[in-house]
Amino acid sequence: MADDVVDVLIIGAGASGAAVAWSLADTRMRIVCFEQGDWTNPSDYPSTAANWESQAYGPYHIDPNVRGRDTDYPINNDESAVTVVNFNGVGGSTILYGAHFPRLHPSDFRVRTLDGVADDWPIDYDTLEPYFATNDRMMGVSGLAGDPMYPAKQPPLPPLPMGLIGEAVARGFNKLGWHWWPSDSAIISQPYQGRDKCVNLGPCISGCAQGGKSSTDITYWPEAIRRGVELRTRCRVREITVNEHGFAHGVVYYNAAGEECFQRAEVIVMACNGVGTPRILLNSKSAQFPDGLANSSGLVGRNLMFHPIAFVQGLFDERLDSHKGPQACCILSKQFYETDTSRGFVRGYNMQIARGSGPLGTAMAGYVSGTIPWGPGHHEAFRQRFDHVASIGILCEDLPEEHNTVTLDPTRVDSNGIPAPKITYRYSDNSMKMMEHGQARATEALLAAGAQTVTSSGPLRVSGWHLLGTARTGKNPERSVVNHWGRSHDVKNLFIVDGSVFVTGGGVNPASTIQAWALYVADTMKKNLANLFD
Amino acid sequence: MADIISTDHPLTRAQQILLAALLDTLVPGSDDGAMPSAAEVQFDVYLLAQAEEFVPLLKSALQCFEPSFVDLPLTDRCERVREFSVSDPQLFQALLTRVYDCYYQNDRVRVQIGVVTGAPFPQGNQVTPGDLSLLDPVIRNSDRHVYRKP
Repeated sequence: MADDVVDVLIIGAGASGAAVAWSLADTRMRIVCFEQGDWTNPSDYPSTAANWESQAYGPYHIDPNVRGRDTDYPINNDESAVTVVNFNGVGGSTILYGAHFPRLHPSDFRVRTLDGVADDWPIDYDTLEPYFATNDRMMGVSGLAGDPMYPAKQPPLPPLPMGLIGEAVARGFNKLGWHWWPSDSAIISQPYQGRDKCVNLGPCISGCAQGGKSSTDITYWPEAIRRGVELRTRCRVREITVNEHGFAHGVVYYNAAGEECFQRAEVIVMACNGVGTPRILLNSKSAQFPDGLANSSGLVGRNLMFHPIAFVQGLFDERLDSHKGPQACCILSKQFYETDTSRGFVRGYNMQIARGSGPLGTAMAGYVSGTIPWGPGHHEAFRQRFDHVASIGILCEDLPEEHNTVTLDPTRVDSNGIPAPKITYRYSDNSMKMMEHGQARATEALLAAGAQTVTSSGPLRVSGWHLLGTARTGKNPERSVVNHWGRSHDVKNLFIVDGSVFVTGGGVNPASTIQAWALYVADTMKKNLANLFD
Repeated sequence: MADIISTDHPLTRAQQILLAALLDTLVPGSDDGAMPSAAEVQFDVYLLAQAEEFVPLLKSALQCFEPSFVDLPLTDRCERVREFSVSDPQLFQALLTRVYDCYYQNDRVRVQIGVVTGAPFPQGNQVTPGDLSLLDPVIRNSDRHVYRKP
């Protein structure tokens, strides 16, 4: 309905869309959020069934091309070294994330100044610090204060149990004199705000039936809806239209019945992640914006960053109970996070201790690697490996490069006929050197911890969790897409609050920083409501 | 393999016998008797309840084995299965995935390997809290680990 005008239209109900909706609800404006997916029902998550491991390869698979729900859109990864993973629904990718929740470091905002590469952010850690704290409280973050690798912070809940696996690897780090610390985790270690605590189901990345994992469908959204935000599911935006003054006018979208509709809005906030946001912007071509909306810089869809990931596994004699507990959240080491040019690369990486697989995953991985045979010898080899493996994930900083892109696929479309995104991405030499260094150091740590054998795999292809950099923030309109508080340089009533805005990606999981950015943008909008478009 | 009445069974009697031998080859019972063979964990029930779409592929896999397979000693059966795994690795991996999926859902198996029976939710798992005094060296050396100030 052309005469139905909402004050703020948010596109996407994931990590950032939920946060910005909750914060903007203070204004009592009419706020509507469009989400292309559905609400998920935790009783459907794989961990409610004995076959949870095989179910995780079905409707809750992390790869949308494999999952293939009609609420997903296809992604062309043919020319990418990394496959994009995500989830489309209320909560977005927080439904399937591991909830490892570190913040970017202060140095991550000053990469050009400190290391002479990439660009600095137009804001710094201190700008986001109060929003990190608010977000930790809203999401429910467990962790331990005092990590010397960060400015002081106080997670609202005590850390998750690190278990035998965490103790074992920690001893290895201690032998080497390296930094380690219990991970900040968006998983509640104690009952919190009406939610019961984590009971260590294990398969966090196929949805948390317990509700111990802090996905935004159970954190921000209930609050935002209570405060008046309207969330409409099964609304898939095709494009943003503009008026004669170059302002965003509204969106063309498809409803659940597949009908084309139009929604007028005074302000549009994009929260569709680093692939979905450039996809819509590039698909929003007009006479005024022939190269796509908000793209006078030519940088929409460019500078795509992931985090190149490798895994190093140590096999221990002692039982580590490694299939128990949150998969991705245990302890971490930032020993090699900051630049040391003597290593042969700039920037650094995070070592994230991951828990082990369930029995099916162990058996199949053992078959593929040749370590657990079928037939005679299966049981003995299985016993030696199951619950005896500790993994260190190497999560490398990926510097922005303009040839790594999200573009529109010329032929592939989603179920509504909207062009699919096409990913073009290759690893840099710097990333490869960093990963090689990380694999060697992780091997050293696991051997120091007492591992009998260590194996390494990487870079992993199905690892595109972190979608960053494709609509970067900056003060210079020729070198950035949005300004220092998320407003498009070109379209004064268009804002971006997702990971697209990242100038650099740091070496940590980005969800915490994405949400802090979203809260910061919302707060800045509230402070500037009287002259929001000046 | 006898918990489904014969008229409902997706396999012929001959195929069932062949399948039992194949399952017993892929995952034999352990020598100490603690771990059952994969032929003892109701694969047919699993097939109908959780993997019905796999039945046509399973029939294709079974066609790769002669009826005499069932009478061979284990070492010879292993050799035949190995040949099959080389000639059609995709089908073999699909079969193995299903066999392991069924096997490691079995309560008797789970008890033996120390995994809770049934679904992880709602019972969950107990995880050792971990000894945070292990952090003492990190804290003592915090001047070496301090974050980099811009």
